[in-house]
Amino acid sequence: MTHSHTGINRRRFIQIMAAGCACCTGSVSHARLLDYQLMATEIASKTWAVHGATEYFNMGNGGNIVNVAFIEVPDGIVVIDSGPSRRYGEALLSLIENTAPGKPILRVYNTHHHPDHFLGNQVFDPGIIAAPEKVIENINVEGNAFADNMYRLVGDWMRGTKVVAPGLALSDAKEEVGGRQFSLFYLAGHTSADFVIRDDETGVLFSGDLAFLFRAPTTPHADINTWQQAIDTLAATDRSLILPGHGLRDETGESLEQTSDYLSWLNGTLNEAVSFGYTMNEAMALPIPKRFDTLSVVRTEFERSVVHLYPALEESLFPLVDVNQ
Amino acid sequence: MANRRTIKLITLVAVLFSNALITQAYASEIPADPFNSVMWKSMVQRFFPGDQVIFDDRVVVSAPQYAENQFHVPVTVDATALENVEEIVAVADLNPIPHILTVRPDNAHAFIGFRVKLQQSTPIHVGVRTRDGVWHIGGAYVDAAGGGCTAPAMAHGESNWMKYLGETRAIARRSPLGEARMTLRMRHPMDTGLAAGIPAFYLNTMNIKNDAGQSIAELDIYEPVSENPTFTLKPNVSGAAQTLHVSARDTEGNEFDFGLPVPAVSAQ
Repeated sequence: MTHSHTGINRRRFIQIMAAGCACCTGSVSHARLLDYQLMATEIASKTWAVHGATEYFNMGNGGNIVNVAFIEVPDGIVVIDSGPSRRYGEALLSLIENTAPGKPILRVYNTHHHPDHFLGNQVFDPGIIAAPEKVIENINVEGNAFADNMYRLVGDWMRGTKVVAPGLALSDAKEEVGGRQFSLFYLAGHTSADFVIRDDETGVLFSGDLAFLFRAPTTPHADINTWQQAIDTLAATDRSLILPGHGLRDETGESLEQTSDYLSWLNGTLNEAVSFGYTMNEAMALPIPKRFDTLSVVRTEFERSVVHLYPALEESLFPLVDVNQ
Repeated sequence: MANRRTIKLITLVAVLFSNALITQAYASEIPADPFNSVMWKSMVQRFFPGDQVIFDDRVVVSAPQYAENQFHVPVTVDATALENVEEIVAVADLNPIPHILTVRPDNAHAFIGFRVKLQQSTPIHVGVRTRDGVWHIGGAYVDAAGGGCTAPAMAHGESNWMKYLGETRAIARRSPLGEARMTLRMRHPMDTGLAAGIPAFYLNTMNIKNDAGQSIAELDIYEPVSENPTFTLKPNVSGAAQTLHVSARDTEGNEFDFGLPVPAVSAQ
């Protein structure tokens, strides 16, 4: 589409500008100004979470609103998701090197195609980045538009970021990486392809954005019924703990319950709003139950969800009328 | 004779002088725009002509602060606190084509919900003209990603989109207080003419009438209205069950007519 062409040109322009700036002013001061200050939190044996803010993208957080993780397996490192930008990817590499020095990175999994989860890919060898075929397809189709929008939302943090799709398409239920076995789950609902990884040694389940904890779920590509089925699958899966896509580690399954509860309410509320013929703006102003006060950015995400979910609900809930032409 | 001529002359001078005064007063009376739009004066001159323009809190314009989707930015205008509304004009100042729509709510409440394509972040101004000629202005500022008006409609991704042209889904409901409300969604690409190789092609009028043939509302629709236009209106109708008659027409002269049953107040 024309849009993505414009986007590519704009990004080229930004890159040229960025290169120009580096010559005149030196890039070091910029790098110091925009520092993600990533920290690794050990959530299980040799398993670290890198927590982002439970916010929406802004110039302050540079897109770091996501959980990335890495695991030291016998022969090296396995990474789950790569963050929102090239700069994040570079910071992640040095965090890994500081935490587990001298270990080669053997595998990077991408849980789904949302920009905060894969735009750090370019610092890794594409040949070790793996995801289901459908995730790769989604990145190829929508990645550039996402990257464009990220430049607009978080600005200079994105400098030099390019879309790199995983080089390896997965379809097996298990994979052994560097002496560790992983179970792979091919689910959907948050997007058309959501990939969940379990470390079979520690039992940590990396749910991607099928689970959120104390952070409102996002729905730009959601199919809520499918998502609820995926949550049921995860709830029935053996594990020691869940690292949700956003929020702290979850040992009790609370992230699944919270996400499911919010999605049920969201679906019911929007069904009713569309049936009453409310405009999107009227729906956006509807009250949100008290129990969701603990979910950060819930009003913002609810407003976004109205825009995401309304058109399909209108298509399904409004009857066709007989039109004379 | 001389006297009459003198009087005529005095009158002429007086008229000229007062006209000059009015013109001057009008020019200086365009109130400052709370959204600081660089296009504000031009918007007033083009779309809110006359001699009185005031910002008025009774014109409530709801739009998201950030557009999640620049092709479908929802806007709701509620000017029901004003009496004797004759016309509602909505414009997006920084769109290449600013005029979004004009509604004449002949027998409807001064209320409309619609969706608009935005080319960039922009103020949206809505002027509501009352019978006394005053333009009551409300607005909202929407931050948006670029390109809403210059990308091809989604319909052009399908080879058979013409087959569904004018396909319409609609409902009419009563609120618990008996107030009627109708929402319709009509398939139409709403091509602006600004996407490469695709000429302008959009729904440009819609009239809604009651059983007796009286006008409920008339809409003049322009290019920025989103693909598959979706409108919500509040017809001012009796409590009885009845049918509203909607007829729409696009710039190629295609006509789309349908009836929309409104339930009786007690029927829900």
